[in-house]
Amino acid sequence: MIATLALIQDTFREALARKIFWGLFGLSTVMILFFLFLLNIDIVEGAMATVTLFGRTVNRVSDVDKWVRSTQAIVATFLYTWSMFLAVFASAGLTPSIMEPGRIELLLSKPVSRVHILLGRYVGNVLVVSCNVAYLVTAVWLILGIKTGIWSSSFLVSIATTIFVFAVLLTVVVLVGVLFESAALATMVTIALMIMSPILAQTSTMLKLLSSEWSRNVWRTLYYCVPKVFDMGKATLNLIQRDPVDVAMPIWTSAVFGALMLVAAVLVFRKRDF
Amino acid sequence: MPSDFAIETSGLTKVFRTPWKRREVRAVNGISLSVARGATFGLLGPNGAGKTTFVKMLLSAVHPTSGSAKIFGRNAADAEARRPIGYLPENHRFPTYLTGNGMLDLYAGLSGMPSGERKKLIPGLLARVGLDEWGDVRLGKYSKGMLQRVGLAQALIHSPTLLILDEPSDGVDPVGRRDIRTILSELEEKGVTIFINSHLLVEVELFCHEVAILHKGEVALAGKVKDLTAGKGYRLTAMQVPETVRSELALKAVSVSARDGLSDFQFLSREDANQALDLLRAQHCEVEALTPTTSTLEEVFVKTVQGHTQA
Repeated sequence: MIATLALIQDTFREALARKIFWGLFGLSTVMILFFLFLLNIDIVEGAMATVTLFGRTVNRVSDVDKWVRSTQAIVATFLYTWSMFLAVFASAGLTPSIMEPGRIELLLSKPVSRVHILLGRYVGNVLVVSCNVAYLVTAVWLILGIKTGIWSSSFLVSIATTIFVFAVLLTVVVLVGVLFESAALATMVTIALMIMSPILAQTSTMLKLLSSEWSRNVWRTLYYCVPKVFDMGKATLNLIQRDPVDVAMPIWTSAVFGALMLVAAVLVFRKRDF
Repeated sequence: MPSDFAIETSGLTKVFRTPWKRREVRAVNGISLSVARGATFGLLGPNGAGKTTFVKMLLSAVHPTSGSAKIFGRNAADAEARRPIGYLPENHRFPTYLTGNGMLDLYAGLSGMPSGERKKLIPGLLARVGLDEWGDVRLGKYSKGMLQRVGLAQALIHSPTLLILDEPSDGVDPVGRRDIRTILSELEEKGVTIFINSHLLVEVELFCHEVAILHKGEVALAGKVKDLTAGKGYRLTAMQVPETVRSELALKAVSVSARDGLSDFQFLSREDANQALDLLRAQHCEVEALTPTTSTLEEVFVKTVQGHTQA
């Protein structure tokens, strides 16, 4: 337990030193300040509202509840797109850095197993991003709640779903990092998977368009194998907007994918000579 | 049952294979070596002899192709076997974002030391390596010698019973080297086994009681330093030796040299040295010194490596 905490603490220190933590924190803070100071909502008789942005009226809202949910959906979309890209980009160097010659030998000389070292780094990395996601979502939720009186708890679920998707994508970063010790390659592969996700999510349309059974099977296989960033994001938006949600399949297939990637990373890391 | 040996290897071999052509490089070839508890042991060898690969196999950073390595009787591959080890790697790259205190805290934590204990020990340990005022400074600001000192502190923080040091004096000034030797001597007195991998033969000769010389992945020579360097002969130094006497002595001496009016004669036997002394006294020459000489470890090293290459 002491060694695990030391590994996690070291990941935080490195993230702070590389300005990863502060970069994500700064971005979240800018968004929070926007909601806090620049966006004003006037509630009239609990229903009517005027939204002002930079002091100018931009919208007259009849359904405050719907407006709050839409705003939260925008934040969730931001989390699933730009924030996720940034988090992957920022985290890509954290795994290869521990394998630098002169550093890895010292880590391996301690009474800690290789599995422990890699998982400690992984958990630390997930926690760095989790802190930022929780900070942004909770602060926006509080600000909107205080300003409108509407406390939509379903928005808070996006903390868990965003962290889950990041944790799955991070397994790819870790595997590529362990295999090639390249932060750039790890970023490229992971972002390629993120870009593939919305394309592969058009399964029902594509299955109709594809002519052969073979190509349909290839599409299906790819769809089920690749982590479902798009599906998870869509499910989160549906949850926020109280639309029907079915996340079981995206969750378990993504979880299996992440687990397999992590096991592969551990096996490679255990076998390597340094 | 606890082992009498801190390190035991049997037929330890490492073969590296190139990825595509599958060409083999035999870095370590069947090394069987034992280092007793409490010993001070030096591992020597020219570049590429397999020293670092051997050490890395002890730490399980490199997996052996065949053979076995044990630390205090425990399989080196077992993480727990590394608990009594303090290690200072060569060409270390400590995280520069950490301060001296932070770095010691991290590695002590990885050794399983509780936080409270770490906080108590770190200031004293930094003082011991002469860095008591540098604890809050980032390692990026440290000189090479200071990094070596803090690296040694890192290796000592959890009170190891086996210290493995890879080029411990690398980049350290003469005063620092003496300080390091003093620390190591104190540890030796406490019964800590010290295993040094170094190119500095003088340093190994000064500190280690036993050595092994590796060459091309094999143990070319191993033994006690005093045995390996013992019994080379006697050196006679005299002043203003006439040419006739010098020529006569040169017949029995294995080497003759002159400097600043002094002549040095090297003899293999005590008898030859005594006869030379008698002759010099008879000729009223002033004798400066008669000293028994031994081989230096460097001479033993060069001879061993050359002999092994020819064989």
